[in-house]
Amino acid sequence: MANNSMEAANTATQSVNTNTHTESKTMKQKKRSSQWTWYIFLIPSFLGILLFMVYPIAESLRLSFFKSNGTIETFTGLANFRTVLTSGPFWNSVWNTFYIGIFQIIITIPLGFIFATLINSVSKGKNFFKVLYFLPNVTSIVAAAMIFQFVLHPEMGILNYILGSLGLPTPGWFSDPATSKWGVILLAVWHWIGFVIIICLANLQAISSEMYEAAKIDGASGIQQWFFITIPNMTGTFAFLLITGWIGALQRFNEVYVVGGPNGSPARSIQTMGAFIYERGFTGFEFGIASAATYIMFIIILIFTFINLKVSKMKI
Amino acid sequence: MNNTMSMKKMEKITSIIKFLILLIFGVVLMAPFIWMVSVGFDRTANISMPFPPRLIPEEPSKFNYGIVFENGRLIKSYINSTIVTVSSVILGVSASLLSGYAFSKGKFKGKKILFIVVLCTLMIPMEPRLIPLYTLFNKMNLLNTYYPLVLPSIISGMLIFLCKQFFDQLPDTLREAAQIDGAGEFRIFFTVYLPLAGPIAATMVILAFIWSWNDFMWPLVVLNDLELQTVPLYLASFSLENGSSLGGLTMALATVSILPIIILYLFLQRYIIQSIALSGVKGE
Repeated sequence: MANNSMEAANTATQSVNTNTHTESKTMKQKKRSSQWTWYIFLIPSFLGILLFMVYPIAESLRLSFFKSNGTIETFTGLANFRTVLTSGPFWNSVWNTFYIGIFQIIITIPLGFIFATLINSVSKGKNFFKVLYFLPNVTSIVAAAMIFQFVLHPEMGILNYILGSLGLPTPGWFSDPATSKWGVILLAVWHWIGFVIIICLANLQAISSEMYEAAKIDGASGIQQWFFITIPNMTGTFAFLLITGWIGALQRFNEVYVVGGPNGSPARSIQTMGAFIYERGFTGFEFGIASAATYIMFIIILIFTFINLKVSKMKI
Repeated sequence: MNNTMSMKKMEKITSIIKFLILLIFGVVLMAPFIWMVSVGFDRTANISMPFPPRLIPEEPSKFNYGIVFENGRLIKSYINSTIVTVSSVILGVSASLLSGYAFSKGKFKGKKILFIVVLCTLMIPMEPRLIPLYTLFNKMNLLNTYYPLVLPSIISGMLIFLCKQFFDQLPDTLREAAQIDGAGEFRIFFTVYLPLAGPIAATMVILAFIWSWNDFMWPLVVLNDLELQTVPLYLASFSLENGSSLGGLTMALATVSILPIIILYLFLQRYIIQSIALSGVKGE
Protein backbone atom coordinates (compact mmCIF):
# COMPACT_ATOMS: atom_id res chain seq x y z
CA MET A 1 0.00 0.00 0.00
CA ALA A 2 2.80 2.36 0.87
CA ASN A 3 4.32 1.74 -2.53
CA ASN A 4 1.13 2.69 -4.17
CA SER A 5 0.76 5.94 -2.32
CA MET A 6 4.29 6.98 -3.31
CA GLU A 7 3.53 6.40 -6.93
CA ALA A 8 0.32 8.31 -6.62
CA ALA A 9 1.97 11.25 -4.95
CA ASN A 10 4.40 11.43 -7.78
CA THR A 11 1.80 11.77 -10.45
CA ALA A 12 -0.02 14.15 -8.13
CA THR A 13 -3.22 12.22 -8.31
CA GLN A 14 -4.30 11.24 -4.88
CA SER A 15 -7.45 9.45 -5.89
CA VAL A 16 -6.03 5.99 -6.18
CA ASN A 17 -6.01 4.88 -2.60
CA THR A 18 -7.43 5.31 0.81
CA ASN A 19 -5.04 7.96 2.16
CA THR A 20 -6.67 10.64 4.24
CA HIS A 21 -6.38 14.23 3.10
CA THR A 22 -3.73 15.24 5.64
CA GLU A 23 -1.52 12.29 4.86
CA SER A 24 -1.37 13.08 1.18
CA LYS A 25 -0.59 16.71 1.99
CA THR A 26 2.56 15.78 3.90
CA MET A 27 3.40 13.43 1.10
CA LYS A 28 3.19 16.31 -1.35
CA GLN A 29 5.48 18.45 0.75
CA LYS A 30 7.91 15.61 1.06
CA LYS A 31 7.82 15.08 -2.64
CA ARG A 32 8.55 18.71 -3.38
CA SER A 33 11.56 18.78 -1.07
CA SER A 34 12.83 15.47 -2.43
CA GLN A 35 12.57 16.88 -5.96
CA TRP A 36 15.18 19.41 -4.96
CA THR A 37 17.50 16.81 -3.53
CA TRP A 38 17.48 15.10 -6.91
CA TYR A 39 18.82 18.26 -8.50
CA ILE A 40 21.64 18.27 -5.94
CA PHE A 41 22.63 14.82 -7.21
CA LEU A 42 22.96 16.33 -10.67
CA ILE A 43 24.91 19.46 -9.73
CA PRO A 44 28.48 18.13 -10.26
CA SER A 45 27.72 16.66 -13.68
CA PHE A 46 25.76 19.64 -14.92
CA LEU A 47 28.32 22.10 -13.64
CA GLY A 48 30.75 20.14 -15.79
CA ILE A 49 28.40 20.15 -18.77
CA LEU A 50 27.92 23.91 -18.56
CA LEU A 51 31.55 24.78 -18.03
CA PHE A 52 33.29 22.20 -20.21
CA MET A 53 30.69 21.42 -22.88
CA VAL A 54 28.11 24.17 -23.40
CA TYR A 55 30.36 27.17 -22.82
CA PRO A 56 33.23 26.03 -25.08
CA ILE A 57 30.88 24.94 -27.86
CA ALA A 58 29.14 28.32 -27.82
CA GLU A 59 32.37 30.28 -27.42
CA SER A 60 33.95 28.36 -30.27
CA LEU A 61 31.05 29.31 -32.53
CA ARG A 62 31.46 32.96 -31.55
CA LEU A 63 35.22 32.85 -32.10
CA SER A 64 34.78 31.44 -35.58
CA PHE A 65 33.33 34.82 -36.66
CA PHE A 66 36.33 36.73 -35.29
CA LYS A 67 39.93 37.16 -36.22
CA SER A 68 41.66 36.32 -32.99
CA ASN A 69 44.97 35.30 -31.52
CA GLY A 70 43.65 34.92 -28.02
CA THR A 71 44.02 38.56 -26.97
CA ILE A 72 43.04 40.83 -29.88
CA GLU A 73 39.74 40.14 -31.59
CA THR A 74 38.11 41.74 -34.62
CA PHE A 75 34.79 40.70 -36.12
CA THR A 76 35.22 39.31 -39.61
CA GLY A 77 31.89 37.65 -40.31
CA LEU A 78 32.17 34.56 -42.43
CA ALA A 79 35.75 35.28 -43.54
CA ASN A 80 37.20 32.45 -41.45
CA PHE A 81 34.83 29.91 -42.94
CA ARG A 82 35.70 31.20 -46.42
CA THR A 83 39.40 30.90 -45.64
CA VAL A 84 39.05 27.35 -44.36
CA LEU A 85 36.72 26.14 -47.10
CA THR A 86 38.98 27.51 -49.83
CA SER A 87 42.15 26.27 -48.17
CA GLY A 88 43.98 23.48 -49.96
CA PRO A 89 45.59 22.10 -46.81
CA PHE A 90 42.18 21.85 -45.12
CA TRP A 91 40.63 19.77 -47.91
CA ASN A 92 43.81 17.75 -48.02
CA SER A 93 43.37 17.02 -44.32
CA VAL A 94 39.74 16.03 -44.91
CA TRP A 95 40.85 13.68 -47.69
CA ASN A 96 43.54 12.14 -45.50
CA THR A 97 41.14 11.66 -42.60
CA PHE A 98 38.50 10.01 -44.78
CA TYR A 99 40.97 7.85 -46.66
CA ILE A 100 42.59 6.45 -43.53
CA GLY A 101 39.24 6.07 -41.77
CA ILE A 102 37.45 4.28 -44.59
CA PHE A 103 40.19 1.72 -45.10
CA GLN A 104 40.66 1.20 -41.38
CA ILE A 105 36.96 0.42 -41.02
CA ILE A 106 36.41 -1.74 -44.10
CA ILE A 107 39.43 -3.82 -43.19
CA THR A 108 39.02 -4.09 -39.43
CA ILE A 109 35.30 -4.79 -39.02
CA PRO A 110 35.12 -7.86 -41.35
CA LEU A 111 38.52 -9.13 -40.22
CA GLY A 112 37.68 -8.66 -36.55
CA PHE A 113 34.32 -10.35 -37.02
CA ILE A 114 35.92 -13.35 -38.72
CA PHE A 115 38.41 -13.71 -35.91
CA ALA A 116 35.69 -13.28 -33.32
CA THR A 117 33.69 -16.15 -34.84
CA LEU A 118 36.85 -18.27 -34.98
CA ILE A 119 37.58 -17.56 -31.32
CA ASN A 120 33.95 -18.27 -30.46
CA SER A 121 34.08 -21.64 -32.19
CA VAL A 122 37.27 -23.11 -30.75
CA SER A 123 36.80 -25.36 -27.78
CA LYS A 124 40.13 -24.65 -26.13
CA GLY A 125 41.95 -21.38 -25.51
CA LYS A 126 38.97 -19.07 -26.00
CA ASN A 127 39.99 -16.77 -23.20
CA PHE A 128 43.67 -16.93 -24.11
CA PHE A 129 42.98 -15.65 -27.63
CA LYS A 130 40.60 -13.00 -26.35
CA VAL A 131 43.25 -11.62 -24.02
CA LEU A 132 45.97 -11.89 -26.66
CA TYR A 133 44.02 -10.18 -29.42
CA PHE A 134 42.92 -7.34 -27.18
CA LEU A 135 46.46 -6.57 -26.04
CA PRO A 136 47.31 -4.01 -28.78
CA ASN A 137 44.22 -2.02 -27.86
CA VAL A 138 45.43 -1.71 -24.28
CA THR A 139 48.69 -0.05 -25.26
CA SER A 140 48.43 3.67 -25.82
CA ILE A 141 48.28 4.65 -29.47
CA VAL A 142 51.18 7.03 -28.86
CA ALA A 143 53.50 4.21 -27.80
CA ALA A 144 52.15 2.08 -30.63
CA ALA A 145 52.94 4.81 -33.17
CA MET A 146 56.44 5.00 -31.74
CA ILE A 147 56.98 1.27 -32.26
CA PHE A 148 55.42 1.27 -35.71
CA GLN A 149 57.88 3.85 -36.97
CA PHE A 150 60.46 1.10 -36.59
CA VAL A 151 58.26 -1.83 -37.57
CA LEU A 152 57.53 0.02 -40.82
CA HIS A 153 61.04 1.39 -41.29
CA PRO A 154 61.72 1.20 -45.06
CA GLU A 155 65.18 -0.38 -44.80
CA MET A 156 65.48 -1.85 -41.32
CA GLY A 157 61.86 -2.56 -40.41
CA ILE A 158 60.57 -6.02 -39.67
CA LEU A 159 57.65 -5.78 -42.11
CA ASN A 160 59.75 -4.82 -45.12
CA TYR A 161 62.17 -7.57 -44.21
CA ILE A 162 59.36 -10.10 -44.41
CA LEU A 163 57.93 -8.57 -47.58
CA GLY A 164 61.38 -8.52 -49.14
CA SER A 165 62.16 -12.12 -48.29
CA LEU A 166 58.84 -13.12 -49.85
CA GLY A 167 59.88 -11.26 -53.00
CA LEU A 168 57.18 -8.62 -52.55
CA PRO A 169 57.70 -4.87 -53.10
CA THR A 170 58.95 -2.99 -50.03
CA PRO A 171 57.17 0.36 -49.72
CA GLY A 172 58.69 3.40 -48.02
CA TRP A 173 55.72 3.59 -45.59
CA PHE A 174 56.06 6.71 -43.43
CA SER A 175 58.96 8.09 -45.43
CA ASP A 176 57.02 8.25 -48.69
CA PRO A 177 53.92 10.47 -49.10
CA ALA A 178 52.46 7.89 -51.48
CA THR A 179 52.38 5.13 -48.85
CA SER A 180 52.40 6.95 -45.51
CA LYS A 181 48.60 6.79 -45.21
CA TRP A 182 48.82 3.01 -45.49
CA GLY A 183 51.31 3.00 -42.66
CA VAL A 184 48.73 4.77 -40.50
CA ILE A 185 46.01 2.37 -41.70
CA LEU A 186 48.11 -0.65 -40.70
CA LEU A 187 48.72 0.87 -37.29
CA ALA A 188 45.02 1.68 -36.92
CA VAL A 189 43.93 -1.84 -37.91
CA TRP A 190 46.45 -3.38 -35.52
CA HIS A 191 45.30 -1.17 -32.69
CA TRP A 192 41.53 -1.34 -33.26
CA ILE A 193 41.02 -5.00 -34.16
CA GLY A 194 41.04 -6.14 -30.53
CA PHE A 195 38.18 -3.80 -29.75
CA VAL A 196 36.16 -5.06 -32.73
CA ILE A 197 36.78 -8.65 -31.67
CA ILE A 198 35.69 -8.06 -28.07
CA ILE A 199 32.50 -6.30 -29.10
CA CYS A 200 31.71 -8.97 -31.71
CA LEU A 201 32.38 -11.78 -29.23
CA ALA A 202 30.11 -10.26 -26.60
CA ASN A 203 27.29 -10.04 -29.10
CA LEU A 204 27.98 -13.43 -30.68
CA GLN A 205 27.50 -15.02 -27.31
CA ALA A 206 24.18 -13.21 -26.97
CA ILE A 207 22.69 -14.96 -30.02
CA SER A 208 20.40 -17.69 -28.71
CA SER A 209 21.71 -21.18 -29.25
CA GLU A 210 18.21 -22.41 -30.05
CA MET A 211 18.47 -20.84 -33.48
CA TYR A 212 21.62 -22.78 -34.23
CA GLU A 213 20.13 -25.99 -32.94
CA ALA A 214 17.06 -25.56 -35.10
CA ALA A 215 19.28 -24.89 -38.11
CA LYS A 216 21.35 -27.97 -37.34
CA ILE A 217 18.25 -30.13 -37.25
CA ASP A 218 17.30 -28.72 -40.65
CA GLY A 219 20.74 -29.80 -41.86
CA ALA A 220 22.37 -26.39 -42.27
CA SER A 221 26.16 -26.50 -42.53
CA GLY A 222 28.47 -24.36 -40.40
CA ILE A 223 29.00 -21.88 -43.21
CA GLN A 224 25.26 -21.68 -43.87
CA GLN A 225 24.60 -21.04 -40.20
CA TRP A 226 27.20 -18.30 -40.29
CA PHE A 227 25.61 -16.56 -43.26
CA PHE A 228 21.96 -16.99 -42.34
CA ILE A 229 21.98 -16.80 -38.55
CA THR A 230 25.17 -15.21 -37.29
CA ILE A 231 25.56 -12.33 -39.74
CA PRO A 232 21.90 -11.18 -39.72
CA ASN A 233 21.99 -11.23 -35.93
CA MET A 234 25.11 -9.08 -35.86
CA THR A 235 23.87 -6.13 -37.91
CA GLY A 236 23.28 -4.04 -34.80
CA THR A 237 26.83 -4.75 -33.67
CA PHE A 238 28.26 -3.84 -37.07
CA ALA A 239 26.29 -0.61 -36.96
CA PHE A 240 27.67 0.21 -33.54
CA LEU A 241 31.22 -0.52 -34.69
CA LEU A 242 30.71 1.48 -37.87
CA ILE A 243 29.55 4.52 -35.93
CA THR A 244 32.09 4.44 -33.12
CA GLY A 245 34.84 3.58 -35.59
CA TRP A 246 33.89 6.38 -37.91
CA ILE A 247 33.57 8.97 -35.16
CA GLY A 248 36.97 7.91 -33.83
CA ALA A 249 38.46 8.00 -37.33
CA LEU A 250 37.21 11.53 -37.97
CA GLN A 251 38.95 12.65 -34.77
CA ARG A 252 42.23 10.91 -35.53
CA PHE A 253 45.15 12.91 -34.18
CA ASN A 254 47.46 11.17 -31.70
CA GLU A 255 49.23 8.70 -33.95
CA VAL A 256 49.60 11.05 -36.92
CA TYR A 257 51.02 13.70 -34.61
CA VAL A 258 53.61 11.27 -33.25
CA VAL A 259 54.60 10.07 -36.70
CA GLY A 260 54.34 13.27 -38.73
CA GLY A 261 54.11 16.17 -36.31
CA PRO A 262 51.43 18.87 -36.49
CA ASN A 263 51.73 19.23 -40.27
CA GLY A 264 51.53 15.52 -41.00
CA SER A 265 54.88 14.94 -42.71
CA PRO A 266 55.84 13.77 -45.21
CA ALA A 267 54.34 16.50 -47.38
CA ARG A 268 51.14 16.81 -45.30
CA SER A 269 50.25 13.31 -46.48
CA ILE A 270 48.98 12.19 -43.08
CA GLN A 271 47.73 15.50 -41.68
CA THR A 272 44.22 14.78 -40.41
CA MET A 273 41.50 17.34 -39.65
CA GLY A 274 42.46 17.23 -35.99
CA ALA A 275 46.09 17.92 -36.86
CA PHE A 276 45.08 20.79 -39.16
CA ILE A 277 43.14 22.37 -36.29
CA TYR A 278 46.03 21.84 -33.90
CA GLU A 279 48.48 23.34 -36.37
CA ARG A 280 46.37 26.44 -37.01
CA GLY A 281 45.29 26.87 -33.41
CA PHE A 282 48.35 26.06 -31.39
CA THR A 283 51.36 26.53 -33.61
CA GLY A 284 49.94 29.47 -35.60
CA PHE A 285 47.61 30.82 -32.88
CA GLU A 286 44.97 31.60 -35.48
CA PHE A 287 42.10 30.95 -33.09
CA GLY A 288 39.38 32.26 -35.39
CA ILE A 289 40.40 30.11 -38.33
CA ALA A 290 40.95 27.07 -36.14
CA SER A 291 37.51 27.55 -34.57
CA ALA A 292 35.85 27.77 -37.96
CA ALA A 293 37.67 24.57 -38.95
CA THR A 294 36.55 22.81 -35.77
CA TYR A 295 32.95 23.77 -36.50
CA ILE A 296 33.18 22.42 -40.02
CA MET A 297 34.66 19.22 -38.59
CA PHE A 298 31.96 19.09 -35.91
CA ILE A 299 29.25 19.39 -38.57
CA ILE A 300 30.90 16.68 -40.68
CA ILE A 301 30.96 14.40 -37.62
CA LEU A 302 27.30 15.07 -36.86
CA ILE A 303 26.23 14.53 -40.47
CA PHE A 304 28.04 11.21 -40.66
CA THR A 305 26.73 10.09 -37.31
CA PHE A 306 23.18 10.71 -38.50
CA ILE A 307 23.83 9.00 -41.83
CA ASN A 308 25.29 6.04 -39.99
CA LEU A 309 22.32 5.93 -37.65
CA LYS A 310 19.91 6.08 -40.59
CA VAL A 311 21.75 3.52 -42.72
CA SER A 312 22.04 1.06 -39.89
CA LYS A 313 18.52 1.84 -38.56
CA MET A 314 19.84 1.94 -35.05
CA LYS A 315 17.55 1.83 -32.13
CA ILE A 316 18.90 4.05 -29.41
CA MET B 1 28.54 -45.44 -38.58
CA ASN B 2 31.42 -44.85 -40.87
CA ASN B 3 29.85 -41.57 -41.91
CA THR B 4 29.63 -40.16 -38.39
CA MET B 5 33.21 -41.24 -37.74
CA SER B 6 34.50 -39.25 -40.67
CA MET B 7 32.26 -36.34 -39.64
CA LYS B 8 33.89 -36.38 -36.22
CA LYS B 9 37.30 -36.51 -37.81
CA MET B 10 36.46 -33.61 -40.08
CA GLU B 11 35.27 -31.58 -37.12
CA LYS B 12 38.47 -32.27 -35.27
CA ILE B 13 40.59 -31.26 -38.24
CA THR B 14 38.70 -28.01 -38.78
CA SER B 15 39.00 -27.13 -35.12
CA ILE B 16 42.75 -27.72 -35.27
CA ILE B 17 42.99 -25.56 -38.39
CA LYS B 18 40.99 -22.82 -36.67
CA PHE B 19 43.27 -23.00 -33.67
CA LEU B 20 46.36 -22.74 -35.86
CA ILE B 21 44.99 -19.76 -37.80
CA LEU B 22 44.25 -17.98 -34.53
CA LEU B 23 47.69 -18.79 -33.20
CA ILE B 24 49.50 -17.56 -36.32
CA PHE B 25 47.53 -14.33 -36.50
CA GLY B 26 48.08 -13.87 -32.78
CA VAL B 27 51.82 -14.10 -33.28
CA VAL B 28 51.57 -11.55 -36.12
CA LEU B 29 49.72 -9.16 -33.80
CA MET B 30 52.31 -9.69 -31.06
CA ALA B 31 55.31 -9.37 -33.38
CA PRO B 32 55.75 -5.61 -32.84
CA PHE B 33 55.85 -6.15 -29.06
CA ILE B 34 58.27 -9.06 -29.26
CA TRP B 35 60.55 -7.16 -31.58
CA MET B 36 60.30 -4.06 -29.38
CA VAL B 37 61.56 -5.90 -26.29
CA SER B 38 64.34 -7.56 -28.26
CA VAL B 39 65.62 -4.37 -29.91
CA GLY B 40 65.53 -2.67 -26.52
CA PHE B 41 68.19 -5.13 -25.36
CA ASP B 42 70.36 -4.38 -28.38
CA ARG B 43 72.90 -1.68 -27.70
CA THR B 44 74.00 -1.37 -31.32
CA ALA B 45 70.43 -0.68 -32.44
CA ASN B 46 70.93 2.98 -31.61
CA ILE B 47 73.32 3.32 -34.52
CA SER B 48 71.57 1.00 -36.92
CA MET B 49 68.73 -1.38 -36.32
CA PRO B 50 69.74 -5.05 -36.34
CA PHE B 51 69.20 -6.34 -39.85
CA PRO B 52 68.01 -8.88 -40.72
CA PRO B 53 65.76 -8.70 -37.63
CA ARG B 54 66.54 -11.32 -35.00
CA LEU B 55 64.79 -12.41 -31.87
CA ILE B 56 67.86 -12.51 -29.60
CA PRO B 57 70.26 -9.56 -29.98
CA GLU B 58 73.83 -10.33 -30.99
CA GLU B 59 75.22 -8.80 -27.83
CA PRO B 60 72.39 -8.50 -25.34
CA SER B 61 72.88 -5.53 -23.05
CA LYS B 62 70.84 -3.66 -20.47
CA PHE B 63 72.38 -0.39 -21.66
CA ASN B 64 69.19 1.11 -23.15
CA TYR B 65 67.00 0.16 -20.23
CA GLY B 66 69.63 1.58 -17.89
CA ILE B 67 69.51 4.92 -19.68
CA VAL B 68 65.72 5.01 -19.59
CA PHE B 69 65.73 4.63 -15.81
CA GLU B 70 68.76 6.88 -15.19
CA ASN B 71 67.28 9.68 -17.22
CA GLY B 72 64.34 9.72 -14.82
CA ARG B 73 61.97 11.56 -17.08
CA LEU B 74 59.91 8.47 -17.78
CA ILE B 75 59.58 7.77 -14.07
CA LYS B 76 58.61 11.39 -13.50
CA SER B 77 56.01 11.20 -16.25
CA TYR B 78 54.65 8.03 -14.68
CA ILE B 79 54.14 9.84 -11.40
CA ASN B 80 52.48 12.74 -13.23
CA SER B 81 50.18 10.43 -15.18
CA THR B 82 49.25 8.60 -12.00
CA ILE B 83 48.32 11.81 -10.17
CA VAL B 84 46.26 13.06 -13.10
CA THR B 85 44.55 9.74 -13.76
CA VAL B 86 43.68 8.93 -10.16
CA SER B 87 42.19 12.38 -9.58
CA SER B 88 40.28 12.27 -12.88
CA VAL B 89 38.89 8.84 -12.14
CA ILE B 90 37.74 9.78 -8.64
CA LEU B 91 36.10 12.97 -9.88
CA GLY B 92 34.47 11.47 -12.96
CA VAL B 93 33.22 8.29 -11.32
CA SER B 94 31.78 10.05 -8.24
CA ALA B 95 29.93 12.66 -10.28
CA SER B 96 28.61 10.02 -12.68
CA LEU B 97 27.45 7.71 -9.89
CA LEU B 98 25.45 10.55 -8.36
CA SER B 99 23.78 11.66 -11.55
CA GLY B 100 23.42 8.16 -12.98
CA TYR B 101 21.55 7.21 -9.82
CA ALA B 102 19.36 10.31 -10.00
CA PHE B 103 18.48 9.60 -13.63
CA SER B 104 17.55 6.05 -12.74
CA LYS B 105 15.66 6.34 -9.46
CA GLY B 106 14.89 10.04 -9.22
CA LYS B 107 11.50 11.56 -9.89
CA PHE B 108 11.82 15.23 -10.77
CA LYS B 109 10.83 17.73 -13.41
CA GLY B 110 12.90 17.82 -16.58
CA LYS B 111 14.43 14.39 -16.03
CA LYS B 112 13.95 13.36 -19.65
CA ILE B 113 15.30 16.58 -21.14
CA LEU B 114 18.29 16.63 -18.82
CA PHE B 115 19.11 13.04 -19.71
CA ILE B 116 18.93 13.88 -23.40
CA VAL B 117 21.41 16.69 -22.71
CA VAL B 118 23.73 14.10 -21.15
CA LEU B 119 23.38 11.85 -24.19
CA CYS B 120 24.12 14.80 -26.48
CA THR B 121 27.47 15.31 -24.76
CA LEU B 122 28.44 11.91 -26.17
CA MET B 123 28.35 13.44 -29.64
CA ILE B 124 30.56 16.43 -28.81
CA PRO B 125 34.19 15.81 -29.68
CA MET B 126 37.14 17.52 -28.01
CA GLU B 127 38.27 19.56 -31.01
CA PRO B 128 35.60 22.28 -31.05
CA ARG B 129 36.13 22.78 -27.32
CA LEU B 130 39.90 22.92 -27.47
CA ILE B 131 40.46 26.63 -27.99
CA PRO B 132 37.81 28.03 -25.61
CA LEU B 133 38.91 25.64 -22.87
CA TYR B 134 42.52 26.63 -23.46
CA THR B 135 41.70 30.35 -23.16
CA LEU B 136 39.46 29.65 -20.15
CA PHE B 137 42.24 27.93 -18.21
CA ASN B 138 44.71 30.49 -19.47
CA LYS B 139 42.60 33.31 -18.00
CA MET B 140 42.43 31.43 -14.70
CA ASN B 141 46.23 31.11 -14.83
CA LEU B 142 45.95 27.35 -14.66
CA LEU B 143 47.92 26.34 -17.75
CA ASN B 144 50.83 24.10 -16.81
CA THR B 145 48.99 22.72 -13.81
CA TYR B 146 47.01 19.51 -13.48
CA TYR B 147 43.67 21.28 -13.07
CA PRO B 148 42.86 21.51 -16.79
CA LEU B 149 43.52 17.78 -17.14
CA VAL B 150 41.48 16.75 -14.11
CA LEU B 151 38.50 19.12 -13.89
CA PRO B 152 36.89 18.37 -17.29
CA SER B 153 36.81 14.68 -16.36
CA ILE B 154 33.88 15.52 -14.08
CA ILE B 155 31.54 15.05 -17.02
CA SER B 156 31.32 11.84 -18.96
CA GLY B 157 28.10 11.02 -20.74
CA MET B 158 29.16 7.42 -21.20
CA LEU B 159 29.77 6.84 -17.49
CA ILE B 160 26.44 8.41 -16.54
CA PHE B 161 24.69 6.30 -19.15
CA LEU B 162 26.27 3.02 -17.97
CA CYS B 163 25.54 3.92 -14.36
CA LYS B 164 21.88 4.71 -15.05
CA GLN B 165 21.49 1.41 -16.90
CA PHE B 166 22.91 -0.42 -13.90
CA PHE B 167 20.65 1.22 -11.33
CA ASP B 168 17.66 0.63 -13.62
CA GLN B 169 18.15 -3.08 -13.01
CA LEU B 170 18.04 -2.70 -9.23
CA PRO B 171 14.52 -2.88 -7.77
CA ASP B 172 12.76 0.23 -6.49
CA THR B 173 11.45 -1.68 -3.51
CA LEU B 174 14.81 -1.20 -1.78
CA ARG B 175 14.31 2.57 -1.66
CA GLU B 176 10.71 2.31 -0.59
CA ALA B 177 11.63 0.21 2.40
CA ALA B 178 14.28 2.70 3.45
CA GLN B 179 11.90 5.58 2.83
CA ILE B 180 9.37 4.13 5.25
CA ASP B 181 12.15 4.11 7.81
CA GLY B 182 12.42 7.84 7.17
CA ALA B 183 15.74 7.87 5.33
CA GLY B 184 16.47 10.87 3.09
CA GLU B 185 17.49 10.51 -0.54
CA PHE B 186 21.18 10.88 0.20
CA ARG B 187 21.09 8.32 2.96
CA ILE B 188 19.21 5.93 0.72
CA PHE B 189 21.82 6.39 -1.98
CA PHE B 190 24.85 5.98 0.25
CA THR B 191 23.58 3.20 2.48
CA VAL B 192 21.32 1.19 0.17
CA TYR B 193 22.32 1.60 -3.46
CA LEU B 194 25.99 2.58 -3.45
CA PRO B 195 27.05 -0.62 -1.63
CA LEU B 196 25.36 -2.57 -4.44
CA ALA B 197 27.08 -0.59 -7.19
CA GLY B 198 30.45 -2.34 -6.92
CA PRO B 199 30.41 -4.05 -10.32
CA ILE B 200 29.42 -0.95 -12.27
CA ALA B 201 31.79 1.24 -10.26
CA ALA B 202 34.64 -1.11 -11.18
CA THR B 203 33.68 -0.87 -14.85
CA MET B 204 33.51 2.92 -14.62
CA VAL B 205 36.90 3.10 -12.92
CA ILE B 206 38.46 0.93 -15.63
CA LEU B 207 36.99 2.95 -18.49
CA ALA B 208 37.80 6.32 -16.90
CA PHE B 209 41.32 5.10 -16.18
CA ILE B 210 41.92 4.07 -19.79
CA TRP B 211 40.56 7.37 -21.16
CA SER B 212 42.53 9.52 -18.79
CA TRP B 213 45.78 7.56 -19.02
CA ASN B 214 45.77 7.65 -22.83
CA ASP B 215 44.51 11.21 -23.19
CA PHE B 216 46.83 13.07 -25.50
CA MET B 217 45.56 16.06 -27.47
CA TRP B 218 44.26 18.11 -24.56
CA PRO B 219 47.36 17.58 -22.34
CA LEU B 220 49.48 18.49 -25.36
CA VAL B 221 47.68 21.81 -25.57
CA VAL B 222 47.78 22.80 -21.91
CA LEU B 223 51.11 21.42 -20.71
CA ASN B 224 54.39 22.86 -21.95
CA ASP B 225 56.30 22.33 -18.75
CA LEU B 226 58.53 19.26 -19.20
CA GLU B 227 58.33 18.60 -15.47
CA LEU B 228 54.59 18.01 -15.73
CA GLN B 229 54.52 15.83 -18.85
CA THR B 230 52.30 12.75 -18.72
CA VAL B 231 53.54 9.46 -20.19
CA PRO B 232 52.02 9.89 -23.69
CA LEU B 233 53.36 13.45 -23.87
CA TYR B 234 56.86 12.38 -22.94
CA LEU B 235 56.81 9.51 -25.43
CA ALA B 236 55.57 11.80 -28.21
CA SER B 237 58.17 14.46 -27.52
CA PHE B 238 60.91 11.84 -27.47
CA SER B 239 59.66 10.29 -30.68
CA LEU B 240 59.30 13.63 -32.49
CA GLU B 241 62.82 14.61 -31.48
CA ASN B 242 64.44 11.40 -32.61
CA GLY B 243 62.17 10.12 -35.38
CA SER B 244 63.34 6.71 -36.45
CA SER B 245 66.87 7.09 -35.08
CA LEU B 246 68.06 5.78 -31.70
CA GLY B 247 66.09 2.59 -32.22
CA GLY B 248 67.40 0.77 -29.18
CA LEU B 249 66.61 3.58 -26.81
CA THR B 250 63.18 4.21 -28.33
CA MET B 251 62.22 0.58 -28.02
CA ALA B 252 63.49 0.36 -24.45
CA LEU B 253 61.46 3.44 -23.61
CA ALA B 254 58.36 2.02 -25.31
CA THR B 255 58.80 -1.27 -23.44
CA VAL B 256 59.10 0.36 -20.04
CA SER B 257 56.13 2.61 -20.75
CA ILE B 258 53.87 -0.21 -21.95
CA LEU B 259 54.88 -3.01 -19.60
CA PRO B 260 53.17 -1.87 -16.39
CA ILE B 261 49.94 -1.34 -18.30
CA ILE B 262 50.19 -4.81 -19.84
CA ILE B 263 50.84 -6.38 -16.45
CA LEU B 264 47.88 -4.51 -14.99
CA TYR B 265 45.81 -5.66 -17.95
CA LEU B 266 46.80 -9.31 -17.51
CA PHE B 267 45.76 -9.18 -13.86
CA LEU B 268 42.47 -7.46 -14.53
CA GLN B 269 41.80 -8.82 -18.01
CA ARG B 270 38.45 -10.34 -17.17
CA TYR B 271 37.12 -7.09 -15.77
CA ILE B 272 38.70 -4.91 -18.44
CA ILE B 273 37.33 -6.97 -21.30
CA GLN B 274 33.92 -7.08 -19.63
CA SER B 275 33.95 -3.31 -19.20
CA ILE B 276 34.85 -2.69 -22.83
CA ALA B 277 32.21 -5.15 -23.96
CA LEU B 278 29.65 -3.53 -21.70
CA SER B 279 30.35 -0.05 -23.02
CA GLY B 280 29.92 -1.46 -26.50
CA VAL B 281 26.89 -3.62 -25.95
CA LYS B 282 25.06 -1.02 -23.93
CA GLY B 283 26.22 1.74 -26.19
CA GLU B 284 24.06 0.26 -28.87
